[in-house]
Amino acid sequence: MQDKITKLFKAIADPTRRDIFHALVIATSALSITQISNQFEMTRQGVTKHIKTLQEAGLVHIVAYGRERFCNADPKPLKEVDKWLKFYSQFWDSKLSALEDYLDSKEG
Amino acid sequence: MKDVINKEHVFNHTIDKVWSAITNADEISTWFLAADFKPEAGYKYTFKSKTDHCEPIFGEVKEANPYKLVYTWIVTGTEAVTTVTWNLVPVENGTKLYLEHSGISKYEGETAIEMFESFNGGWTNCVNRLTDYLKELVNAG
Repeated sequence: MQDKITKLFKAIADPTRRDIFHALVIATSALSITQISNQFEMTRQGVTKHIKTLQEAGLVHIVAYGRERFCNADPKPLKEVDKWLKFYSQFWDSKLSALEDYLDSKEG
Repeated sequence: MKDVINKEHVFNHTIDKVWSAITNADEISTWFLAADFKPEAGYKYTFKSKTDHCEPIFGEVKEANPYKLVYTWIVTGTEAVTTVTWNLVPVENGTKLYLEHSGISKYEGETAIEMFESFNGGWTNCVNRLTDYLKELVNAG
């Protein structure tokens, strides 16, 4: 479980990987390594490395078809990150509400 | 991928009153968390909750010039450093607060796990208890 979370955070820590992941999420079909390389003006080798990291985090699934490999996004693992955001989002909502109550109750 | 929490809130109070509430230790202790705090860059602050089993928050004040307050935010027992920024802007009939809490994506591997564990652990309960406590305070006073 811990190992899984490490890989997830490692995967999303890099802005280029986030962009690649985003491109895969909004793509209507699976994208090949070649298509991703063209879109991001990166070498196949560079894309492959990023995809591998995303794959290890469970964010991307790869299907081999002939000599080409196709990538699909899987956003499910991001729930863990979402949990962090939700927790602090609620935390600050409740704190700001407490701040407002405090200010309202304070004289002057 | 969004990894920053942004909150905006308008308070029907003067900017100096709001600034005081977020920078004065006694006031922070009233509505937020029991604070050892000074609005001075470099000050190492601590926020504690009154109940046991709650890990204190600590960090360093990075900037404290009216009306911008920035401090790091670390849950005790973890290495993960996040940043909280308070920006106050005067608006008609009050003060607008822009609050930002960032950012998980800066932290790779081990520290990210610790951050995850810090909110997965008992801290959530502390916050809820504290909110109840604050509500009681407001109702009583």
